[in-house]
This record gives sequence, C-alpha cells and structure tokens, in this order.
Amino acid sequence: MAPIVQCMGLTKTYGRKIALNQIYLNMERSRIIGLLGPNGSGKTTLIKIMNGLLKPTAGEVLINGQRPGIDTKLRISYLPERTYLNPGMKVIEIVRYFQDFYPDFRMDRAYDMLSRLQIQPDERLKNLSKGTKEKVQLILVMSRDADLYILDEPIAGVDPASRDYILHTIVSNYNRNASILLSTHLISDVENILDDVIFIKYGSIVLQASAEQIRQNEHKSIDRFFREVFAC
Amino acid sequence: MLGKLMKYECKATWKFILIANLMIAVMTIMANITVKLDFFSYEKPDVFQFIAIMVIMTYVLSMFAMIIGVAIFLVYRFYTSTYSDQGYLLHTLPVDKHHIIISKILVSALWIILCEFVMYMSMVILIASNGEVFETMRDSMDSIISFTISENTTVKGFAVVMSLVAFLFGLFAKLLKVTACISLGQLSANHKLLLSVLYYFGIYTIQKMFSVIYLVFITAVNRHNSFFDMYGWESMLVSGIIYSVVFYLITWYVMDKKLNLE
Repeated sequence: MAPIVQCMGLTKTYGRKIALNQIYLNMERSRIIGLLGPNGSGKTTLIKIMNGLLKPTAGEVLINGQRPGIDTKLRISYLPERTYLNPGMKVIEIVRYFQDFYPDFRMDRAYDMLSRLQIQPDERLKNLSKGTKEKVQLILVMSRDADLYILDEPIAGVDPASRDYILHTIVSNYNRNASILLSTHLISDVENILDDVIFIKYGSIVLQASAEQIRQNEHKSIDRFFREVFAC
Repeated sequence: MLGKLMKYECKATWKFILIANLMIAVMTIMANITVKLDFFSYEKPDVFQFIAIMVIMTYVLSMFAMIIGVAIFLVYRFYTSTYSDQGYLLHTLPVDKHHIIISKILVSALWIILCEFVMYMSMVILIASNGEVFETMRDSMDSIISFTISENTTVKGFAVVMSLVAFLFGLFAKLLKVTACISLGQLSANHKLLLSVLYYFGIYTIQKMFSVIYLVFITAVNRHNSFFDMYGWESMLVSGIIYSVVFYLITWYVMDKKLNLE
C-alpha cells in the first residue's frame, strides 16, 4: 500500500524567504508521527499545503495518492494551531455542522468526550475559555474516523494538566488504521506516544527515523536529542 | 453540499438582517403615526412639529443605516468566513469551491432583495394616504416600469420579466465584484484589506470607462437604429452577465488555485 503522505520536491517561498526547501518525504500508515522543529521551521507551512490551505511554489504532495482536494479532505481530520470556529455558534451547533459535512463523523463519540470534559452542548463558543475552545476543536477532530489526523500544535496553548488529557484523548480515540501527524515543539510532552519522528529546520528535513531507533542509536531521549540538533 | 452551505450561511447571518428590518419596521410605524396624527400641522404646538421632524429624520437615517450596515455586514461576513481564521474550517470542508462561492452569493442576494423589499414597502406605507397601500404600490410599479422599459417596447410582460432578470444579474455582479476584490487582496502577503479596497476602486474606474465607451457606441448606433437603450433592460442584462462571469471567475481562480491562508 502506498504511503499515506508523499512529498516530492515540495517547495514554498514567500517572496525571497524560503519556507520549505525541496522536501522529499514519505509518511507510513498506522503510525503516530511527530513533526518536530523550532518556531518558524516550516511545520505549519507543510501542514497547510497538505490541507490545501496553501499552494506550493514547486513540487507536490499526495495524500492517499491524490493531490489535496475534496477526496483528500474527506480522509484528513485537521486541527489547526488557531481557533477556527464561529464564536457565535453553540457547541451543539458545531457538532451538527461537522456531522453534516463529514460522513465519518461519530456523534456519539463527540458527545461522550464533551460530557467527560463537562462541556455543556448549549454553551456558546465565545463564552468558553481559550483552553476549553481548544478542547472542543480537538473533540471535533478526533470524533472522525479519518485516515490521517493532522494536529498542529495541539498542546501549545494549554496548561500542563490539560496536556495529559489531550494526549490521552488523541491516543485513545483515533482510528487504529490511521496515522497521526503531530506537530509540536514541546517534545518532552509527546515523545512517549510517538512511533516516528521528523525533524525540520529552516524548511528542510534534517532527520526522519523511528523513535525507537533514535533512542537506541543516540542513547538519549528524543527531547535531549532535539535540543542538541537544534542548539542555537 | 450547496444546500448545507446555504443553510449554515443563512444561520450565520439571519439575526443581523432581522434586527435591521425590525428597526425599519419600528421607524415606519412611528413615522406613519406622526403623519396620521398630522403632527406637521401649524395648528399643533411647536413641540409636536419638532417631534415629527425628529421622527422623519430618524426614519430617513435608519434607511441609510440599513443600506450601509447590511452592505458592510455582508462584506465582513465574506471576509471573515473565507479568508480569516474561520476560512481554515471552510476550506478544509470536503466541498467544491464553486459551491462555496454560489452559496455566499445567493444568500447575500436573498438578504439584499429582502431588505430592498422591506424598504420599498415602508415607503409605500408612509406615502399611501387614507390607507390606500395597494393603489400606491400599483402607481409606484407603473412608474418603475415606465422608467426601465423604453416606449417602443411592444411586449410589456416580457420586458418586465427581463428587467427583473437584469436586476438580478446586476446584483450578482455587484456582490461578485466585492468577492473578487477581497480575493485579489489575499494574493499579497501584506496589507490584504487595503489592497482589496484599492482593487475595488480600480475596477470601479475601469467599469466607468467601459460605460462611457458603451455610451458613445450606443449614441452612434442609435442614429440609425433605436433598438438599444442605454438605461433599458437589454444593456443592464448584458453588462450584468458579463461582469458576473468575469468577477465569478476571478473569485473562483484565487480560491481554488491561489489560496494563501497564512
């Protein structure tokens, strides 16, 4: 079976600035993959191109063997690094919105997670705290039976106690045949759940390996190794 | 998916439109009361005349407020839901870009037609003396028809229908001009909104130039043939269709081929 993601010579420039530089990359199925790099390394740009929110300057990305489009959007569940929901809507309205547009959305799973977090479905988003809004978004994204979950900085804006809950939610709710691409610079919080690791620096891939391989070869944690690779 | 997109577009916008129309309804009732009770009469105390003037002024201002407010609201709604943070959700839905554009244009057109109808009815109610609302409506419709249809038109019913179609395409063209300008502004890395406004005035100027060229052409043609009328439905329909197609294609091209959500 073809990899879930294939990047071939993927390049993105903003004027003279190179955000992604000739990226060749394959991501395998049924893996939790950490896309790790410091701020401004190109993680979000790569993710946006995969979701069709940005157009590459050169090269292409294939999801399930297809260019980003309606078919790939049916199979990708994407959590952006910002709040992307209409603040005037109620939680229950947003849940129905997702159910209307995504055939793989599981209403029961969404309500189960909402009740466990004690989030009232009748509450309007604008009345929720920033952290709770992020949890609502995560619940919506993880309530789909997608082939690929792309989570851009899912734990960056929440307190350490909530991080554990979010990681637990991710690991216990995703479709087991699917892959998760998890972008973050908070390595120590996520390294225990990762199968594979991709290091990205100045828009180039500097390393792609399994988490186990790094631990065995380097005799150190991924967080420690990351700090060495990206030392200023 | 078009129906679902339209449903959610209506849900996101109906409250503002309702409030705007309620404001007009309240002002119409108040203005009507001052007219019916003859507050303008010299026999009434000065304070009554002052109240009447204030009510009529507020009524006129509320009309302008609705026109400008609804226009700004619909433009702001298109921008925020398409090219700001909410665009991340809209553009990752498994829907055709054509459906996104069509849903927004149809719902906006629906609200504008509703608001224009409410304003028209408000004026009819205010003008109608002794409660002759239907007679006033009929007279005003006759005036509008005689303005938009040239005297040498033989089939009036057809011309009325075509005038309505021309009005619709004119409305689509205006809405799509705004979506095209906002979309073009997104192509830049900086000052997106400022560029959108500049694009709008640039395109407006080009359209005016085309109108002048067309006017010169029609004037020359009409020396021999009076079929074309600068202000008739024929010209409105042709220009409405051409501009609608051009602005639609610009909006679609940027949204589908050049999307740049940074």
